[in-house]
Amino acid sequence: MTNHLQITIWKLLDGWNNLQKLGSEAFPPDFTVLTERAGWTHPPCTFESDVLCSPAVVGMTQTLEIAFLSTVFGMLLSLPLAAMAASNLSPYWLSQSVRQLLAAMRVLPSLIWALIFVIVVGIGPLAGVLAMTMYTVGYLGKLQYEALEGVSKEPLEVARAMGLPRWQVARFFAIPEASNALISQALFMFEYNVRHGSVIGLVGAGGIGWYMNHYLSPFQLYDKVLALIIVMFVVVVIIDQISLSIRQRFMDGETHPQRARWRDIIPFFKIREVRN
Amino acid sequence: MTTQPPVRLNMANVTIGFNQEEPLIECVDLEIRAGEIVGLTGRSGIGKTTLLRTAAGLVRPLSGSVECCCTADTRAEKGAIGLIPQRLGLVQHQTVGYNVLMGALAEANLLQTALSLPSKKMREETRSVIEEVGLADKTMESVNRLSGGQQRRVAIARAMLQEPDLLLADECLGELDAETARGIIELFQHMAKDHNMAILIVDHNPVRAKTFCDRVYQLRGRRLIPFEEEQSSPALPVIGEASA
Repeated sequence: MTNHLQITIWKLLDGWNNLQKLGSEAFPPDFTVLTERAGWTHPPCTFESDVLCSPAVVGMTQTLEIAFLSTVFGMLLSLPLAAMAASNLSPYWLSQSVRQLLAAMRVLPSLIWALIFVIVVGIGPLAGVLAMTMYTVGYLGKLQYEALEGVSKEPLEVARAMGLPRWQVARFFAIPEASNALISQALFMFEYNVRHGSVIGLVGAGGIGWYMNHYLSPFQLYDKVLALIIVMFVVVVIIDQISLSIRQRFMDGETHPQRARWRDIIPFFKIREVRN
Repeated sequence: MTTQPPVRLNMANVTIGFNQEEPLIECVDLEIRAGEIVGLTGRSGIGKTTLLRTAAGLVRPLSGSVECCCTADTRAEKGAIGLIPQRLGLVQHQTVGYNVLMGALAEANLLQTALSLPSKKMREETRSVIEEVGLADKTMESVNRLSGGQQRRVAIARAMLQEPDLLLADECLGELDAETARGIIELFQHMAKDHNMAILIVDHNPVRAKTFCDRVYQLRGRRLIPFEEEQSSPALPVIGEASA
């Protein structure tokens, strides 16, 4: 098999030589990507500060914006689809059809979705947002319908005995019951989208990846690329930590029950409380 | 000639279970009228909950007819049947106000439910039933933080707001101290008398059920039979005795 795949020790040794060459060109990282103004940002940067218009700051901000918007849009689209896909909330034919739809959306990785949307809407963050939204719907939808299927059946039976339609059973009983898990999943998805938001830039869909690609091809400025990777790593670690602490707050709710902040996070779902 | 209250649940020659060859309960004939409280007892696993779920339209009977609230074959009109399951069916991590308000959903119109905007009347009624069950100071509290007795009151308040014609309550009094149980029983009596509800309540303790139900039935050997004290297993403490 190694023969068929042309994997040889000589190739590995060649790779080692290339790695050494790459290392020598990448070190030390060139952090001017954080301080020098880039006149070629897309869309053009209008701030006066050079730092705010540097490739690292503009690229990372775009990546975060793409991740945030695609998580919000993805969540709004995936939640009704997840309710339709949950076998305890929908008839068999509907849940199976929606599951296949969600699976189809997951089949293509975000990079391929980005390629498709760059062709459809052109280079830029819009293609990134659309691509990440599509992938988010497929991925988050699966997590959500599994969470909805895990809710206690008793509140749902109360609603069914009352004669409520399926959408009300999902909206007022199943979704609030699973709210902690759903919020936790949305935060996880945001982390995931920040990490993957950097990749989609390589095909022109905006974000820090687009700036990396600019340095890689054709200039091969590996020291600047390494600096961008370090910036991205630091931001991802910070976001991971913030997200983890927020998620723990919701997951701890199982042992130390506390009121879900679901309605505080998504005002669309706000219900007027009965106050004294 | 006095007119009898309307029939809220009529089960005629019903066979209940999940398998035609091995039904859980056979030949169930049960009629409950408005304002009546009917008790149902029997040992664990004999089919009490399944009988209740069949009456609620959640389980299809294997044979026979179930007429709920004057409508044939289990499909009662919206909001006509109220259910308090054994584990109460409260929406976890939500407030007492939210959970009680769910009882008004059957009455809410499409716009109110779509926009999650209960009417002023609904909110006032919610507040009033929460006060009635003695939880006015807990309205904004998460139900997870309440005691077992308080959670039962929330489930009862939800049913009171819904005002169903037929209320089905599963083991609502289990594991409660005598005083709390008495408070809950008073709420059921209030609902039956003042709201003219028909109530079918499952209680492990047949002697206690006798003290507040108009009729008590027992599930024994796949049959639903009227409860008679000499048939019962060793009597469990009556509320009055336990508290004395």
